[in-house]
Parts: sequence; C-alpha cells; structure tokens
Amino acid sequence: MYRTSFYGGIVLCFLICVLAAPASAGEPTVQIKSTIDKVIDILNDPEFKAPEKAKERRRLMRGVADERFDWQEMARRSLARHWKDRTDKEKDEFVPLFADLLERTYMNRVENYSGEKVTYTGERIEGKYALVSLSVFTSKDVEIPIEYRLQKKSDEWLIYDVSIEGVSLVNNYRTQFNSIILNSSYEGLVAKLKDKVAKN
Amino acid sequence: MRKLDIELAVGLFLIVGTICLGYLSIKLGKMEIFGGEGYNVHAIFSDSGGIRTGSAVEIAGVEVGRVKSVSLEDYQAKIMIHLDQDVKIQEDSIASIKTKGLIGEKYVEISPGGAEEMIQPGGKIRDTQPPVDFEELIARFVFGKVE
Repeated sequence: MYRTSFYGGIVLCFLICVLAAPASAGEPTVQIKSTIDKVIDILNDPEFKAPEKAKERRRLMRGVADERFDWQEMARRSLARHWKDRTDKEKDEFVPLFADLLERTYMNRVENYSGEKVTYTGERIEGKYALVSLSVFTSKDVEIPIEYRLQKKSDEWLIYDVSIEGVSLVNNYRTQFNSIILNSSYEGLVAKLKDKVAKN
Repeated sequence: MRKLDIELAVGLFLIVGTICLGYLSIKLGKMEIFGGEGYNVHAIFSDSGGIRTGSAVEIAGVEVGRVKSVSLEDYQAKIMIHLDQDVKIQEDSIASIKTKGLIGEKYVEISPGGAEEMIQPGGKIRDTQPPVDFEELIARFVFGKVE
C-alpha cells in the first residue's frame, strides 16, 4: 500500500516537473503571449469576419495593442535626439500620430492572418529590459523570426521595439525621421506623417 | 669596387624597407590594440556577419572607433568596441552591422538615441541589429516572397 503511493508520488513529481517546464517561460513571454493570443482570438472570431465589422475589429485590436505597446517610448526612441527639442505640446501631438502611423502600416498585415503558427523561441531578461523572440511559420512553412524588446514599467512589460527578420522598427523610423527633419524640418515630418495616415 | 657599391645599395634598401615595414606594423597594430585615448563598450549580436577585429565603427558615416574583439558568448557574438574619448553615445543607441556597398567590408554603425543617460565606459549597447543576409533576400526574391 505504502509502496504504491510511494511510486505514485514519484510519478506525480515527474509529471509536475514535465508539465511545469513549458510554463517556466518568464513573465515577459507570458505577457507577450497573452497579447498575441488576444489578437488571434479577435481575428478568428466569426462575429467580426464580415467586412462591415472590419472597423469594429480594428478598434478592438488597437485596444489590445495599446495595452502592450509603449507608444511614447517608441516615439521617443524613433525621434531620438530630436525628441529633446520638442515642446510638451508637440510631444502630445506626435505620440498618437506615430501610433496611428504604425497602426495603418501594420494592421493590414495582421488582418491577413490565416492560422499561421507562432512558436516562442527564447527570452532574455536584464534588469528592467527583456527580449522575447518568437517565430511565425507561414502556410508554406517559411519561418519569420520576430523579436520584441520590452521594458518593465510598474509590473507590466511594455514593448519599445520590434525586430522582424533582424530589422528593427525603431531604427528604421529613426533613420528616416532624422533625414526628413534634417532635410526639411520637424513640421515637415509631422505634415508628412499626417498625410500618410490620412491616405491609408 | 663597383660590386661593393651595388651590395651597399641593396643592403641600405633592405634596411630602409625593414624600418618602413616595422613602422607600418607598429602604427597599424597600435591603432587596433591600444587605440590611444578612448573607452570600450560591448554589444551582443545574434549574428556577427563575419565582422573582424579592426573593423570600423561609424556614426553618420564618420569613423568614431574600431572593433577591438569578437568572441562567442552564450552562442551569440559579443563585440567589443573601442570608441574615441570625445564620442558619447546614449543609452538607447542602436548598433547595427552593415556592409559597405553590396559586397564591401563589414562595419558597425551606431545610430544615436535621445536618452539623457550616456553609456559609460565598460557599458553595453543593448539594442543591436544583425546584418541583413543578402543571400537570403535574393533567395526570397528568386523563389518568391511568401507574404
């Protein structure tokens, strides 16, 4: 009797260890995963599949993205040294404009989602910074590596940069914004962004 | 007598040549090893793209330092960079490995950030971008982009 429960105990311990292993992914991965799962749920929801619901669906996804993306930090990093020269009013105007730009640029691609598989491949935490890497497998089994760079702000890990295939989003915008500001002006950049957001 | 002249000329030429070679070695070696005044920072890349010790480090295309060493750490490339003393880089700077032209040499480009804090000597450039794999891009172009 004791023997069986002893063996039972060993098996139970073993099961706990095995089952708990995948869940040992750290906090940043868990938070990123919950955000991605939420977006995938919205995309898979048959209620929003109709074209007339597209706006509603986009609004919902933007809501989910707003919780995880640190727009202000991304905008600050993208403007880089030009951020310091901005007044508070300009900053308040720029951050939502930048978020809208990203929404217009990337939402279309996200909306094309058709059951691609997402695998979480790694995580690195250094103090208040973390890096979560994952791969998206397309229907033709091509792997697209994606890296999220996060910063911890009051218990939440918030995204401040995304790299797709090793190309950093912030670095891309930083280079472009810098050259636009140097060639014309900050006002020129804002006009260009507004134009782009309105066009799409 | 004439034979001696030629031998003397060859000898002198050899000595001058050796001195030149020595000077050149020291000069180049010094730049890479001691580098004069300056400080070191490091960065971790998922792929070094074959960058070597002595490769240039640039900001806006201007050389501000050199790669001091490249080593493997936790299956990633750790690149030690020696920067000039008067060059300060911000905490949110991004280091990326780039290629001069399409098939030129590799170099490290630092795009300066806007943070108030600067990276201290011995510090780390946290955000990095590995080199773009042209072979992969061409393959994708040839076999069609899957998007």
